[in-house]
Amino acid sequence: MSQEAAYIFSPEQLQYKFHNEHPFNQHRLSITNDLLMKLGALSPETILPARKATIDELLLIHDEDYVQAVIGAAEGQSRSSYRTTFGIGTEDTPVFPHMHDAAAWLVGGTLAAVDYVFDNGYKHALNLGGGLHHGFRGKASGFCIYNDSSIAIEYIRKKYDARVLYVDTDAHHGDGVQWAFYNDPDVCTLSFHESGRFLFPGTGHVNERGHGDGYGYSFNIPFEAFTEDESWLVAYKAAMREVTEYFKPDIILTQNGADAHYYDPLTHLCGTINIFHEIPKLAHELAHEFCDGKWIAVGGGGYDIWRVVPRAWSLIWLEMSEQKEALKQSIPKVWLDNWQEEAPVQLPPEWYDPKGLYPMIPRKKEIEKKNERTLLKALKPIYDHQKKVKS
Amino acid sequence: MSVNVRDIMKKDIIVAQRNMPVSEALDLMKTHKIRHLPIVNKQNEILGIVSDRDLRDAAPSIFDEKHKEFINLPVSKVMIENVITALPLDFVEESANTMTENQISCLPVEEDGVLAGIITETDLLHTLVRLTGAAMPTSRLEIEVPNESGQLSEVSNIIKDHQINIQSVLVYQSFSDNTKKILVFRVQCMDMRPLLKSLKEANYKIIWPTELEMKP
Repeated sequence: MSQEAAYIFSPEQLQYKFHNEHPFNQHRLSITNDLLMKLGALSPETILPARKATIDELLLIHDEDYVQAVIGAAEGQSRSSYRTTFGIGTEDTPVFPHMHDAAAWLVGGTLAAVDYVFDNGYKHALNLGGGLHHGFRGKASGFCIYNDSSIAIEYIRKKYDARVLYVDTDAHHGDGVQWAFYNDPDVCTLSFHESGRFLFPGTGHVNERGHGDGYGYSFNIPFEAFTEDESWLVAYKAAMREVTEYFKPDIILTQNGADAHYYDPLTHLCGTINIFHEIPKLAHELAHEFCDGKWIAVGGGGYDIWRVVPRAWSLIWLEMSEQKEALKQSIPKVWLDNWQEEAPVQLPPEWYDPKGLYPMIPRKKEIEKKNERTLLKALKPIYDHQKKVKS
Repeated sequence: MSVNVRDIMKKDIIVAQRNMPVSEALDLMKTHKIRHLPIVNKQNEILGIVSDRDLRDAAPSIFDEKHKEFINLPVSKVMIENVITALPLDFVEESANTMTENQISCLPVEEDGVLAGIITETDLLHTLVRLTGAAMPTSRLEIEVPNESGQLSEVSNIIKDHQINIQSVLVYQSFSDNTKKILVFRVQCMDMRPLLKSLKEANYKIIWPTELEMKP
């Protein structure tokens, strides 16, 4: 196992729990940790702790009155402004005990990842508890309270003065992070998501390219509903490489929402586990090619916590720590036995999905064509730039 | 959409006086990336308007001797007089209508006889985007209802019961069936499943999100 990679987790991160029926469920962290341990790819001694982000760190991005409102709500206070102004206490983001502490631990995990990479000699770090990309400066949105990635990026900018490429493969647009750095030419955001015409949060159009000095440093690839593996991967591979070559980051931060899978109950994409084999592979490769290996990965969405998330997230760690030979065996029987009773669905016995997971998509050709055009439109400024350089 | 013109008009307006030469007016529009230039007097009363396109169309070829003569003319000689204007309290849809009817893409706004602002097609498009809530984190919900009174209210009540905030609503006649209306909501909510369940229980026909029949 490579000593270059840090796996970050603390049990406090499991406290980020709205209620039993809520789709955002950090139980997936325990299930994923267990899969990696049963595989022999992770041991309790090698897990590095997260930490709790300080108020000052939260204020790198968030407004003070918003943080005060989260603390107030966690202590049981209730004001009508919490819901309307701050988005707390809605059906998406209900109040729960210790919500401030739990959210601050998720942020602290991503900040710890930054420090392991910049100060402690690790090349890569993984905090699966992070990736809460919908959090706004002054408002909770889409299950997200504090935006760990935005805070970590601002922390990197202030403390290490490095240029950051943020790549978001969650099925939902990475709006919170995009808007936080929309004017900043030293932070480039690249988001792959289901088109806002079909899915929350409705933004992430190709034409959202940044503003002011930040113009040209925001990229969006919105996919048609029912997009499948092949079309998704063509766009991912092309855009990842082109944007990385163009921006030349010092570090890559990837958000790894695992909800672009056909099984995901909240989205309408038709990916299979194939794309989750490819996502970390290319991120890893590009980090070594352009950033001296510096790569931080966080989690994100992912609402089929049994059939999709544990495999998708384990694949990130196996890639990052160079333990992919583990994939030669099937999913360990001890893991299946451990969880099958609790799971309401049949757990997957293999690392790849069986063929014919879903029936034919009638509009397949049309969808592929539309996605192809979207990709060209999104990358047009880069292609124009290349033409200019050549001539 | 009863948004007033004054809510969306631009108030920092680039203007010219009547004696400005055409060449300067063209440069001014180029510098500020604008296509229309109102011509005003000292009291800021509107005398006329020029557009970069009109000027370019009117200009003789650059190889023609008359070209130099033309670009040195004062704008008052080439401007359009009797300018069609909007008033600050006009509804946005009224001014949109004025623009399409007169085939113009810009309206100066006058208040008490003087120039107070300007609106262009671009401003109208921005307003449309804002009114449909497309710039806020929202999900799209599309429902087909019978063309009868009270439908919007009933659906809104179900949304309210879920404590979900509605960002915008669009109501229109179904294109395919004139006994039906289509309601399009943008709601501030990422997980619509509990709401969809309630709507289905109340027998509403949900057009989006569709459940792929093949979803397990």
